[in-house]
Amino acid sequence: MSAAQNDIRELGASEQEGTAASDARKLAIERDFRREQLAQRRRGRRRQLLLGAGGVLAFLAAWEIAPRVIPGINTKMFPPPSQVAGVFVEMTFRTGEIWPHVGASLLRALWGFLLGASCGIVAGVLTGRSATLRQFTDPVLHGLRAIPAIAIVPLAIVWFGLGDLSKVMLIAWGAFFPVWVNTFIGVRDIPVVYLRSAAALGAGPLATMVQVALPAALPFVFAGLRQATAVSFVVLVAAELVGAEQGLGFLISFAHLVFRVDIMFVGLLFLGAIGFLADQLFAWLLHRFFPWYGADARR
Amino acid sequence: MNASVKRAEAGRPAVSIRDASRLYASSGGELNWAMTGVDLDIGAGEFVCAIGPSGCGKTTLLNTIAGFIKPTTGSVVAGGQPVTGPGADRGVVFQEYALFPWLTARRNIEFGLKMQGLDGPARRARADELLALTGLSHAAGRYPFELSGGMRQRIAVARALATRPRVLLMDEPFAAIDALTRASLQRELLRIWQELRLSVFFITHNIEEAVFLAQRVVVMSAHPGRIREIVDIKLPYPRNRADPAFGALYERISAAFAQNEEATQ
Repeated sequence: MSAAQNDIRELGASEQEGTAASDARKLAIERDFRREQLAQRRRGRRRQLLLGAGGVLAFLAAWEIAPRVIPGINTKMFPPPSQVAGVFVEMTFRTGEIWPHVGASLLRALWGFLLGASCGIVAGVLTGRSATLRQFTDPVLHGLRAIPAIAIVPLAIVWFGLGDLSKVMLIAWGAFFPVWVNTFIGVRDIPVVYLRSAAALGAGPLATMVQVALPAALPFVFAGLRQATAVSFVVLVAAELVGAEQGLGFLISFAHLVFRVDIMFVGLLFLGAIGFLADQLFAWLLHRFFPWYGADARR
Repeated sequence: MNASVKRAEAGRPAVSIRDASRLYASSGGELNWAMTGVDLDIGAGEFVCAIGPSGCGKTTLLNTIAGFIKPTTGSVVAGGQPVTGPGADRGVVFQEYALFPWLTARRNIEFGLKMQGLDGPARRARADELLALTGLSHAAGRYPFELSGGMRQRIAVARALATRPRVLLMDEPFAAIDALTRASLQRELLRIWQELRLSVFFITHNIEEAVFLAQRVVVMSAHPGRIREIVDIKLPYPRNRADPAFGALYERISAAFAQNEEATQ
C-alpha cells in the first residue's frame, strides 16, 4: 500500500473514531502555526535591530574615516568619534565635570517646564470653556505667541539677570504657548455628548471644567506637553549660550571660546540623550497613568 | 401590575410639553423649524417611543425635555417644575460613546452621585446595586474601551439611573448595537422599567423596536418637524414579535410613515 493511500485511510479512520484524534491534529497544527508566527516576528525584530545597528556603525565609521582621508580637514575642527569618546569618558566618569552642567540644565528645564505647562493648562481650560475670556485674551495671547521665544532672551537677561531665574522664566514662556494652544483646542472641541452627560448628571460649571473638560482634553494636553519639552530644551540652550556660569549650553559656548570642538560634541551628545530620554519617559508615564489614553486608536 | 393602570393612578404626568417649537438658523442664515407645536404628556411610569425620519425633531424634542436646549416657544414641565436646564431628575442615555473614557465603569456610574456630594461608601453601595441590576458586576473595574457596545450601553443606563431620576430619556440608545444584543438589551430595559416604575421617553428609527417597547408610539414627520400621530400599543408584556397583533401595529405605523413621505414630497 502506498504512503498516500495510508494517509487517506488514516484520515477516514480518525473521522470515524470521533473527535479525539482530530482535536489532537488540530492542536498540533495550531502549535506549528504559532511557532512559525513567533519565529517570523523574531526574524523581523532581529532584522530591524541589525539594520539599525548597522546604520549607526556605518555613520560612525564614515565619521571616523572622513577626517583622516579627506585632505585639508583638521581633526581638531572635525574630531573623529574615537577622540570624542575619549573626552566623553574623561568628562563623564574620570573627572565627572559634566554632571554639574547636566544637573544645572535639567533643573532649569524642569522648573521652567513645570511653571509654563501649569500656566498653559489653566489658561487653556479657562479660555476653552469661556467664550468671553477667550475673546478677551485672544489678541494678546496670539500676539505674544507669534514672537519667537529666543528673541526675548536678551530681554529676560535684562529683567532677571544672568542667573537661574532668567532661564526658568524663559523656558516657562516657551513651554506655555504650545500647552495653552493644545489644551484650548482640546477643551473647545470636547464631544458635546460628554458635556451633556455631565450636565444631566448634575455637574456644575467648576466640576465640569475639572472633572470632564480637562480629562476629555488630555490627549491634546499631552500633545502640547510633549511639544513643550522640545521647546524647553531649545530655549534652555539659547539662554545658556547667551550667558550662564553653568549648564550644557554654557559648556558648549565655553568650548567654542577655548576651541575644543570635542567638548562641544560631548555637550551635544548629552543634550540629545536628555531630550530622547525625556520623550521616552513621557510616553511611559502616559501609558502607566492613563491606560485608557489612545485605547480607541490602538484597537 | 399593568403600567397603564399606574399611569391612571398617578395624577400628574411626569413630563408635560405644551406647544413646544424650536427654530434653528443654519450657518448660511437660513431658518428652519426643527420642531413645531408639539403637545405631549408622558405619564408617570409610562413608556413612550418617538419614531420618525431624520429631521422630524425627535432628538430636538428629547433635548428640550432634558433641558439641553430651550424651546423657542412653548413650555416643558417635568415633575411639576418648569424645565430650565439639565438636571439629575431626568436621566439621559445617548447613542454611544457617551461614557467618560477616562473613568472605569464603576466610576462612570458614581459620577452623578459624586456631583450630589455623596460620600465614598454610599456611592459604592449604590453603584453595586446598579451593576447588579444591569448584570455587570464583573465589569466594574473596566474602562469603556474594554467593554463591548452592549455592555457600554448597560453601563450608560446604570449611570443615568444612579441618581434615581423619575424620567429616563434615551436617544437611539441601541442603534449601533448588533441585532442579537439589541434584543436582549430591549428585554432588560423593559425589566428595569417595570422594576423601577420609571417614565421612559425612547427615540428610535426602528418600528419593530418601538412596537416591542412602548405603550404609546409618537410618530413624527419632518419639514417642519411635528407630531403626526400617536399610536397606542395595548399589547401585554412580554410581547411576542410573531403575534399577528404585533404585525398589525407594525403595519399601521409603517403606513403612517408612508403617508409622511407622500406629504413631504
